[in-house]
Amino acid sequence: MRATLARVGAITRKEFRHLLRDPRSLAVVLLLPVIELVLFGYAVSFDVGQLPTVVVDQDRSAASRAYVRSYSASGFFDVQTDATDLTQVDTLFRENRVRVAVVVPAGFGRAVAAGEKAQVAVLVDGADVQAARIGQAYAIALNARYGGQLTAAWADRQGAALTGGVGLLEPRSRTWYNPERRSSLFLIPGLVVVIIMIVTVQQTATSLVRERDLHTFEQMQVSPLRPAELLVGKMLPWTLLAFLDLSVIVALGIGMFGVPLRGSVPLLVVASAVFILACLALGLIVSAVSPSMETANVLALMIAFLPSFLLSGLAFPLASIPVWLRWLSYAFPARYLVSISHGVFLRGAGFAELWVPLIQLAAYAGLVGLVATVLARRRTP
Amino acid sequence: MSPARIRLLVWKEFKQLRRDPLLLRIIFAMPVLQLIMFGYVVAADVTHLPTAIVDLDHSAVSRQVAEAFTASGYFTVDAHPVSEAGIRPLMDSATISVAVVVPEGTQAALDRGETAPIGVIVDGADGQTSGVALSYATQIVQQVNAHRLAAYGVDTTAAPGLDARIRVAYNPSIRAVNSMLPGLIGIICMISITVVMSQAVVKERESGTLEQMFVTPITHTEYLIGKVIPYTLVALAQATLVAVVAVTWFRVPFNGGPAAVGVVVVGLLLFMLTALGLGLLISVVSRTRHQAQQTVMFLLLPAMLLSGYIFPLESMPRVLLPVAYAIPLTHVLIVLRGAFVHGAGFAAMAGPLLALVGFAVLIFGAALLAVRRRLRGA
Repeated sequence: MRATLARVGAITRKEFRHLLRDPRSLAVVLLLPVIELVLFGYAVSFDVGQLPTVVVDQDRSAASRAYVRSYSASGFFDVQTDATDLTQVDTLFRENRVRVAVVVPAGFGRAVAAGEKAQVAVLVDGADVQAARIGQAYAIALNARYGGQLTAAWADRQGAALTGGVGLLEPRSRTWYNPERRSSLFLIPGLVVVIIMIVTVQQTATSLVRERDLHTFEQMQVSPLRPAELLVGKMLPWTLLAFLDLSVIVALGIGMFGVPLRGSVPLLVVASAVFILACLALGLIVSAVSPSMETANVLALMIAFLPSFLLSGLAFPLASIPVWLRWLSYAFPARYLVSISHGVFLRGAGFAELWVPLIQLAAYAGLVGLVATVLARRRTP
Repeated sequence: MSPARIRLLVWKEFKQLRRDPLLLRIIFAMPVLQLIMFGYVVAADVTHLPTAIVDLDHSAVSRQVAEAFTASGYFTVDAHPVSEAGIRPLMDSATISVAVVVPEGTQAALDRGETAPIGVIVDGADGQTSGVALSYATQIVQQVNAHRLAAYGVDTTAAPGLDARIRVAYNPSIRAVNSMLPGLIGIICMISITVVMSQAVVKERESGTLEQMFVTPITHTEYLIGKVIPYTLVALAQATLVAVVAVTWFRVPFNGGPAAVGVVVVGLLLFMLTALGLGLLISVVSRTRHQAQQTVMFLLLPAMLLSGYIFPLESMPRVLLPVAYAIPLTHVLIVLRGAFVHGAGFAAMAGPLLALVGFAVLIFGAALLAVRRRLRGA
């Protein structure tokens, strides 16, 4: 047993030495997580604010100016320019200089004063879909509020109740877990998953294939190492590094970006451990089927990177995608850990709420572990 | 310069490509995979949100609200907890992401002519969905109100107020594929060219064939052209595949005329030069293939995230905008989306096209110099 430990330790030391000699790999493992964290925590989000806006005020009355002012006052629209007609608006859209155009036709002020329906038009640029969705929603909300104010003011002047005594429903909304709906709060817990996956799948796959490419694999096979010891020794460094990355991201996420950690920490640790095992097994499978390092690298990228970003619910809700893709998402481990991670960090969930994804993850890890063992056996006679 | 020698070198590169069947398959599988991912996942519109309705009123109006939510298609009502306390566990386990609460006495309050509150709870953990869910829910409640008013003979259309026509130009139903897939053409070009080009020189140096190459009569320029052509052709094939699938299968409209097609072609060619230059630079500065791959990985990820492809540039802090505009991908995305969605011509796209010219000259020029120096040393 002690001899086994010594041999595993030797392999682990060897791997760390390889890593230290290759500063770029080291940077990928240690720096990439921090860069991504800063990108996701600070630079990118879905929180669109201050959409560049152009105003076409053809009425030029006090009422139209007050209406236009409500856009800049809302904080969502950044009124940058004025235009006199719609062809100018078209040019501005095409040159990508504005996202929203507010058109107040002549007669607006007169209609407001007379208690009629005052016409306005809002154009939102559909070229950037996220910005368009949000711009549309803001515009609807702003106009509903402003219209309500106009109606109430007019009713006050008339001294009449508008609805004729019919009671109305009023939605009172609450947003749980993330009241300001900051996207960094849900992107960072998901990011943990992507980072672990890149570090483990990609690095184990390429490091195993490299060993084969350089013919040092056979050297190790003729040494007193048993296959299992070799494998454990090769994987241990990446496991440790994955846990290190995990801790760094969690610490920075909580400390710098105010991500809450409300739920069960033991659950998160257990789930991450199972997830890392599954990823290592995936890395083994990739290394076993790849004839060259390039192939291993591209294959690992395709397994680790794209699906963990897009088919995991990290940034894009899985409820909205076609059913066959939802089934496909079960083939990649990221989705299980992302739902656990979101639950633990944001919803304060524990084993009671999250046992389903945890068991699914464990079953998945067992399955890919089995496949990896069979493939690795076949590859090393 | 001898075309025959260049042709031979191109031939050799293709032969080497064919020897690695998996890599070849990946080159063709990657665009397809990304089309599926971006066409179906990123572009998915928020619908079928799992919803719980807590009906504490058991009245005509509460049934009306429940029906309106079910009929909208945005919400899938699959839980009916008997009390508000029942929402918490469902939300905690992410079984539902929206809950609607109709409090007791709603019907009575409405009958008295009062305003009755109705609770809408959304799961903020599910990020962007929650905002969309709230605006859908608000619209549905307004619809219920309008129905009730109409039933009592109150005509809201004649009432004073605003008649706001809010329209999304160029892409009226906000179909996400319409702008995601044109952008994907640029992304695929970048990934595939940079990944393969970054290997080109370093691979030959690693296996020692670079020296062999230069005892043959081939010149440095011929060598470079012969290296660049095959992978440019591969990338062009991929880009065309994406464009054809986007237009035929995903029915992405091309809103521009011939000028817009010209904009796309010119923009893509300039961008390809930039990507080729970047790949060559990486290839020259890397000692091993592995290092080259790591460097590519390191550069591509921030480029994709900061380019405005998924996350809009408007959501970025102002101080980071110069960084976003220092990425060539940002400009080619503006060009591709402008041409496809806006139908923009050369005049409107002059800014980003000029920026691409600048990048192409700068990066490809630097790559040429670096490769020459490296080859002379070889």
